[in-house]
Amino acid sequence: MTVQTVDDKSINENWEPKIIAFLCNWCSYAGADLAGVSRIQYPPNIRIVRVPCSGRINPNFIIKSLTDGWDGVLVSGCHPGDCHYISGNLVARRRFAILNELLEFFGIEPGRVNFMWASAAEGERFANLIKKVTKIIKELGPNTKFKKKWC
Amino acid sequence: MEQKILQKDQVGKLYSELSKVYTFYAPIKEKGNIVFKKIENPKDIVLDYLNSKIPPKSVLFPETEVLFEYKLDGKDVEIIDRQDLDDKILIFGIRPCDAYSLELMANFFSFHGNLKDELYLKKKENTTIIGMGCNNPRTTCFCTSVDGNPFKKEDSDIFLTDLGEKYLVEGISDKGKDLIQKLSWLAEAKNADIKKANELAKQAEESITTKMDVKEVTKILESSFQHPVWDEISESCIGCGTCAYLCPTCTCFDVIDETDDYNNKGRRIRIWDTCQSCLYTLEASGHNPRDTKIQRCRNRIMHKFSYYPKNYDLLGCVGCGRCIHLCPVNNDLRVILDKILKVEKKEDEKAIA
Amino acid sequence: MVLKMGVEAENQNIEKSMIETANNLLKNKEVDVIIGYSKGTVPLSSAPIIIRREEDTDKLIWNNLCYVNLAKYLVPLMPQLCDSEGNSLKIGVVSKGCVGRALIHLAVEKQIKLDDIKIIGIPCNGNINRKRIEKEIGESEILELSIVDNNINVKGKDFEQSFPFDEYLNELCKVCKVKSPPNNESLAEVCVGECLEITSVEDDFSDLDEYESKSTEEKWDYIIDTLRTCTRCYACREACPMCYCHLCFVDQNKPIWFGKTTEISEIITFHLTRAMHLAGRCVACGACSSVCPMGIDLNLITRKLEKIVKGRFNFTSGIDIETLAPMTTFKMDDSEEFMLEED
Ligand code: SF4
Ligand code: SF4
Ligand code: SF4
Ligand code: FES
Repeated sequence: MTVQTVDDKSINENWEPKIIAFLCNWCSYAGADLAGVSRIQYPPNIRIVRVPCSGRINPNFIIKSLTDGWDGVLVSGCHPGDCHYISGNLVARRRFAILNELLEFFGIEPGRVNFMWASAAEGERFANLIKKVTKIIKELGPNTKFKKKWC
Repeated sequence: MEQKILQKDQVGKLYSELSKVYTFYAPIKEKGNIVFKKIENPKDIVLDYLNSKIPPKSVLFPETEVLFEYKLDGKDVEIIDRQDLDDKILIFGIRPCDAYSLELMANFFSFHGNLKDELYLKKKENTTIIGMGCNNPRTTCFCTSVDGNPFKKEDSDIFLTDLGEKYLVEGISDKGKDLIQKLSWLAEAKNADIKKANELAKQAEESITTKMDVKEVTKILESSFQHPVWDEISESCIGCGTCAYLCPTCTCFDVIDETDDYNNKGRRIRIWDTCQSCLYTLEASGHNPRDTKIQRCRNRIMHKFSYYPKNYDLLGCVGCGRCIHLCPVNNDLRVILDKILKVEKKEDEKAIA
Repeated sequence: MVLKMGVEAENQNIEKSMIETANNLLKNKEVDVIIGYSKGTVPLSSAPIIIRREEDTDKLIWNNLCYVNLAKYLVPLMPQLCDSEGNSLKIGVVSKGCVGRALIHLAVEKQIKLDDIKIIGIPCNGNINRKRIEKEIGESEILELSIVDNNINVKGKDFEQSFPFDEYLNELCKVCKVKSPPNNESLAEVCVGECLEITSVEDDFSDLDEYESKSTEEKWDYIIDTLRTCTRCYACREACPMCYCHLCFVDQNKPIWFGKTTEISEIITFHLTRAMHLAGRCVACGACSSVCPMGIDLNLITRKLEKIVKGRFNFTSGIDIETLAPMTTFKMDDSEEFMLEED
């Protein structure tokens, strides 16, 4: 995989954020698929990583994505109560809640990292939320401060 | 005459002259800690200090050091070697114990000339050391017990003595003498200055009260690898590694490959490591020959006071006392060595009885 | 509370009754060893000590420099006290509030069995912020520290300076609400000495207000400025009673998760993840900050952790042995206000 990361200096109007999305296999990933087959348009800024459950998402994935230079991170799983593994998303929710507050506490802009639920039947919701996330991150601009500097 | 005078307000002038030729390192205060950093503004230099928190080994052997970088282009790999090894380095205001430590480290990095670490050795060769005597050694200093003293000059190229308003500047090595020649604006030292410097040196040496028979320690260590004293010594240690990490003679490092997949490049780096970390000796098989705290504590002492003398005929400790006053559980090296010294006595008594 | 004594007198009282309790425990064979503090060899220190014989108990001291969290000596990574053949030693631990909390939380996480332990409670009167004093004294060696009339007097070769005790306490000690080990029904067997009957802790976390009112940019700058001198020695981790993993995330190298350099994003990654891993577990002892050789103050972060966990899950670590640690459980109706919703 080769992703052209944004050169810090080339922030211009045509700049498009690169967003990494960790999607649960059983719901959001299928939701993205549904949005596709239903021909619902959503911005092409996300790159999807399929995970077996939102409970599989180690906070490290999120932090590492930021230091690797992704402009935004999205995490999406099954609605509470619908997790394929019963409670993976509920445990994950506590984790995300804490990570979210800590990121803000450390001075990472709120909105760099986003969390959502979307089921396999919610193609439309998925597309709408992707639009929203893309807009939020576009407004924030490129992730330059937390990106690893290679000297 | 190689003895000159540098007024304290002339340090800036010295800097602007030397920094044209050398990358100029000196102690600065960063967030309350004295550390050696590349100087951008001579006003940052702090010379009135006890000793630095991070030892100046960080100049030649930084916490994170790039060994080489590479770039990928399809199947082609381009290796980019370090370009800055020929730069001239100047370390200003370093304490005699730390100056000696750089010398000791060169032993490790060349291993009798058999295994040469070019990175360190080249930089060391290109380094000019301007040392500075310790007028006020700390109570934890014990350099006089380990082949040093607060005014040990031979590891510096130029040696400074703080005379209050000014420094006495002495050329020690040829390199240093040459450099002093070039600094023609330095005033000549008067006899009174030299006399005062000698007095200060004498006072400083006398003020060091910690005296230890380290030779004896080395001897005892020969035969006490299995001794229960190690249980006692390591009992309170929490394995934080501060003692090794911030030790001026500790040379251990870890090599790591980093890749930047997104930009088709990468690099190999080395970072400081410490034998107090339990992963330090973990082998790929999963076996760890030093997996208890006792073994790790023992290793630190053995390495400095037994293996080093065996390998290089020198002690691996310069007596700076950092591990003594920085250890969070106060596992005092002086007490440790004292316990070791008592080991033999007990056995002697037994032999007599 | 009765008449407010001076700190010095308080210390003497604490020390006296602590030694007495320790003595009795050893005499009655209720414990095999006692872990406590002894006098340090350098002025701003104390040395943890393990005592096996009754006659050695007078080596125990209490002063305001007993900053190491002794619970660390009981976690499984510290093998000496957990007998090699598996017969566990009975251990008495001199416990200020946060040591007691650490022991209780370690038991909650099933790392230690409280049956083998006696918590020798002492009413802690706070630890001195020695890093702050050292920094303010600067480049002169401190040779002597004493507490007289609620002032910390520091002496060196050619200086003498005095600091008001209350102001120069550790930041965490200033806001500490659990100064003695918590005691309640389920712990009655374990606690000896002076403990505190509590079941919950109230805290308004107003000490965080100032930081939290900063803008995101200001926070980032502050964090960078605080952490940039970190040398990645991990002493903070080693001193933390809650850091007992055999393989810390930062040491994992198959594959390497996190960069190990002193580049700022990697330093922040370490501290962010460390904080993440301590959520609902940190017992606010401040050991991490006390041992950091670079004098980095991590207390702000640990306070925030406490606040998050209290606010979200109404949980305070190390108070109660029955309640599960918040990150190991969940509730169906946990708040999820941070989740993205359609407009
Ligand atoms: S500094 Fe002290 S506690 Fe840390 S590893 Fe060294 S001896 Fe052990
Ligand atoms: S103890 Fe201090 S310097 Fe060491 S890793 Fe922790 S914060 Fe960094
Ligand atoms: S993170 Fe720091 S304050 Fe919290 S338990 Fe660990 S050492 Fe104590
Ligand atoms: S299976 Fe979708 S979140 Fe667990």
